[in-house]
Amino acid sequence: MGCAIRNNIRQLRFDHAEMTQQDLADRIGVTRQTVNAIELGKYSPSLEVAFQIAAVFGVPLDQVFQYDKPGR
Amino acid sequence: MSFREKSAWISLVLILVMFGAYFRTVSQVVSGETSRASASHWMLGLVLGFLVLEVVFHLAIAIQSPRDARAPKDERERLISLKATRIAYFVLMIGALLSLFSYWHLGMGAWPTSQHVFLSIVFAEFVKFAAQIVFFRRGV
Repeated sequence: MGCAIRNNIRQLRFDHAEMTQQDLADRIGVTRQTVNAIELGKYSPSLEVAFQIAAVFGVPLDQVFQYDKPGR
Repeated sequence: MSFREKSAWISLVLILVMFGAYFRTVSQVVSGETSRASASHWMLGLVLGFLVLEVVFHLAIAIQSPRDARAPKDERERLISLKATRIAYFVLMIGALLSLFSYWHLGMGAWPTSQHVFLSIVFAEFVKFAAQIVFFRRGV
């Protein structure tokens, strides 16, 4: 299921010492499969998890997630 | 594959195999090839066997990945579980209503009606696990 929310998690992980999906998952309290689903746009996380991801990378939320208005 | 997805696959396959065998016996009762008592014995045995195999297979995958097995469901897994249960609920309701309709308006007896209700429960569980697998694979 595609969604209008894009993310840069893969790039951010790469920029943070090639952090693995499992490392990120452990830090935010979800499974590695959930991090993978978020990266692939198969799952839109809750606000809480979105903020947690941004906090792990030390960047504002809009540097992690971007919303594309449908029809653009 | 996550622990929860493996768990859904185990339950799906066990339901298909174990209760497939049971409803084959029920169809033999309907066609007069075997007795209702035989089907009842099958049912007891299969339900017990189903529970035992569920425990054994879940223990096996828990040993493979103990950390995943101990971890509580995360938000995506909870959402998948809720959405799949919602779909299964409609399946169960339709099955239950069809059972009532058959009992009241088609004069179906108590035993066939009970089998119809049981089939509805089993099929709803099957749909629940199938839906979970689809959501795990395709996204939610």
